[in-house]
Amino acid sequence: MDLRQIEELLPFYALDALNDEEKELVEAYLKEHPEARQQIEEMGSAVSALPYAVPPVDPSPHSKEALMKRIAADQRAASTTRNQPSRPRGLRFENLFSAFSLGAAVIAILWVIVLNGQVTRLRNEISALNNALVAQSNELEQINTKLSQATPSAVITVSLKGTDVQPQAQGQLIADPSSQSAVLVIVGLTPLEAGKTYQVWLIQGETPVSAGLLKVDANGQGVLVVSSETPIGSFDALGISVEPEQGSLQPTGDIVVLSAL
Amino acid sequence: MARNKNATGVSMRSNNESSVLHSHEDMAVEQLSDEILAAQVARGESHALETLYDRYASTVLGISVKIMGDQAAAEDVLQETFWRVWQSAASFQSQRGSFTGWLFRIARNLAIDAYRRRKIRPRPITDVDDSDSKIDQTPDPNIDVAEQSQLLLNHKQVLSALATLPRVQRQVIEMAYYYGMTRQEIAEATGEALGTIHTRARLALQKLRAELQRDESKD
Repeated sequence: MDLRQIEELLPFYALDALNDEEKELVEAYLKEHPEARQQIEEMGSAVSALPYAVPPVDPSPHSKEALMKRIAADQRAASTTRNQPSRPRGLRFENLFSAFSLGAAVIAILWVIVLNGQVTRLRNEISALNNALVAQSNELEQINTKLSQATPSAVITVSLKGTDVQPQAQGQLIADPSSQSAVLVIVGLTPLEAGKTYQVWLIQGETPVSAGLLKVDANGQGVLVVSSETPIGSFDALGISVEPEQGSLQPTGDIVVLSAL
Repeated sequence: MARNKNATGVSMRSNNESSVLHSHEDMAVEQLSDEILAAQVARGESHALETLYDRYASTVLGISVKIMGDQAAAEDVLQETFWRVWQSAASFQSQRGSFTGWLFRIARNLAIDAYRRRKIRPRPITDVDDSDSKIDQTPDPNIDVAEQSQLLLNHKQVLSALATLPRVQRQVIEMAYYYGMTRQEIAEATGEALGTIHTRARLALQKLRAELQRDESKD
């Protein structure tokens, strides 16, 4: 916008009828051209008369009454706030007790409000988690159904369940017991903090053998192709534990899933 | 109030008044200037706000009714306007303009915002006569009759000054000021080129100022 165009905005600036961008342009122009302020002031004096061009209308007494009540309430609230910290030290016991009771009541009310908020939030989170779990279980069912239709009869599926550490976790191991690999599908695992990972173990007797690191998404869902040097059918159980992100030679953290194969 | 203002309602008092606030505390509150009362409001003195309300409520309501075309809604704007004054009087700076300019700007902006939300079409000034604005109501008995007479006189003077403007110039002023229309919206609504709207606005304000000054010098 050139200078001439900005000058054309001046009457509308005086009328307070410019958008924010135009207003900024004019104000920048006025800084650069202080002589233009004279024009603004002259036009502004005409604009300041415009409110008087409309006939005055007597307000109803109710409007003033409502306004003054609102202001009185505001003053009372401000006064209470001002007075609270500066109470005289020589309060009588009754006053002290009243003040204490009032304070306790306020704290109790605030506490109840905070608790209510937290309970509502937790309920919402639980409800959302349950919904996600149901949806994922349904997906798993569908995958199983399709797999059972598509794979040879040698393929088996083993249900996996979370331990007491993460009882909501569940999954399936899909494998041909004679092969050395299987597909692990898991849902409901809690996403881990940075620096931690889930590690899958195939267990023979009491000897765990690492079967890979398992990453889960924000919903706690993960898929891993499990590999082993010996057939899957030679193992007695499958476990998942929480380990440092590079993995461990032996389980060191919480066992979150443990199921017999 | 005539003591405080000229015919156009612009405060004639010195901006230095705020520095002598305390010397005025014993004066009758009704005699204090708008700027001193505003400073008292900023200190939380509700009687000062009440005085300002008594002085300007009818003008504020007139502006709101004009913009909104609905007195019930305009009374809400009136209350909200003075509530804003109560809450933000500390931000009013008398060296940057008159109290009435600040007050009426708050009222106008609130009314335009409320109007845009309600989408009620306002009426042009020429469609509103004084009797029409006195909608069935019980006037506030606390309103100062002398002040209201002065407001009415101001109204007549400004209205006659506006009447000297060519209709098309007056129209641009009304659309911009009372309806909050942008210059582009005015050009579109009137079917005129943007340049024409610019020229009309400038000429209208220049002529209006000249007419008001002429009236003032006659007084």
